[in-house]
Amino acid sequence: MTDIEQLVEALAAQAEQVRPAPHPFALAAKLAAAAALYLALALAASGLRPDFAQAWHHPWYAAELLALLLLFLASTCSVALLGFPDLHQKRALAYAPPGLFALFALLLAFAWQADTPPAPLPVHSWQCSLSIMLVALLPAAWTFYALRRYASTHFRLAGSIALLSAFSVGALWLRLHEVNDSIYHVVLWHYLPMLAAGFIGLWLGNKLLRW
Amino acid sequence: MCRALPDSELVRKKLQAMTETEKNFAAEDLEALMRASLAGDKQAYAALLRASARLLRPFLARRLNTASEVEDVLQEVLLSIHKARHTYDGTRPYKPWAYAIAKFRLNDYLRMHYADQLQQAVDIDDLENILHADVTETGLSYESISGEVEKLPDKQAMILQLLHRDGYTAKEAAHRLGMTESAVKVAAHRAYKVLRERLER
Repeated sequence: MTDIEQLVEALAAQAEQVRPAPHPFALAAKLAAAAALYLALALAASGLRPDFAQAWHHPWYAAELLALLLLFLASTCSVALLGFPDLHQKRALAYAPPGLFALFALLLAFAWQADTPPAPLPVHSWQCSLSIMLVALLPAAWTFYALRRYASTHFRLAGSIALLSAFSVGALWLRLHEVNDSIYHVVLWHYLPMLAAGFIGLWLGNKLLRW
Repeated sequence: MCRALPDSELVRKKLQAMTETEKNFAAEDLEALMRASLAGDKQAYAALLRASARLLRPFLARRLNTASEVEDVLQEVLLSIHKARHTYDGTRPYKPWAYAIAKFRLNDYLRMHYADQLQQAVDIDDLENILHADVTETGLSYESISGEVEKLPDKQAMILQLLHRDGYTAKEAAHRLGMTESAVKVAAHRAYKVLRERLER
């Protein structure tokens, strides 16, 4: 009997009823719902920016928030797909977040151009990156925990997109909480650290999602 | 009224009623076999794993050098299919799912294999002073040490057989084995070193 035949028999002997993992969109919906609840709690604790009603009428602010929300939703869907070895055969959707992030950067470039005269810089700087990171820790932890129960064959990318998704929750929270209209500050201390987190996610994915 | 049978029952009934050839043909309905396997059907699961092995062996053989490597990676792939079977729900094609796992394990194997080789690699410049001008000349007859040569790792033994028993040059041996000439010389040098140590004992 060959080694393969022995292995087949040993594995077949272990066959038992297995509950298939939920559909990736169901997983994405769960992750998004948890993130929405978490965001609502964080905003309830910290407070919405007092001038939100006015700021919302500013087209670039509204576009930025909507794009950030879209990036969060796309990266959450992508994370769920990346948990499956074959990306649930939805490759284009799984690889969408880097392209969306590029579009988001383009939107910020237009917003930057339109910011004349430039809005005053806030007095703080790195504290924003730290706040985003702290808020993102919990979503990152539960996303990685969920992913470890699957079988990602793209573990580096999955780690990267998982952190991008978590940091987009943190960035959304800060944009809804902080009274700040300086696009320069936002790019430098909110979104560049988010991009850096995406690169750290490549390493983290390799450490935590290998199977 | 006709009640729809569950997948596992259908597959079992079909397998019982079929000849060996028909069984092989039926095994190609991989999605149904996987659905039955997920329901806990041992017979269907064994048929699925055998069919997967048949499907994936040529894929691996085209990308690996030796039959033993193919068997090793195939075993890893089957184990991974077993571990990841909960990520297949039976509603999408099975083959892309299985190939994704096979490709993942193959890349994993190749990454480890080359990382290992890189660690053990000897800089060719360091060998210039100690390599013989003609690596095929060792001053010993092949027949006198053939017993020791057979105890060497497969690749080293094969290289020494080609160089000393069959009279190939290092370049010809490299061509035959799909390696570079330098790699053949380095492997031969390592083999000589091992043989020298063994013969001096």
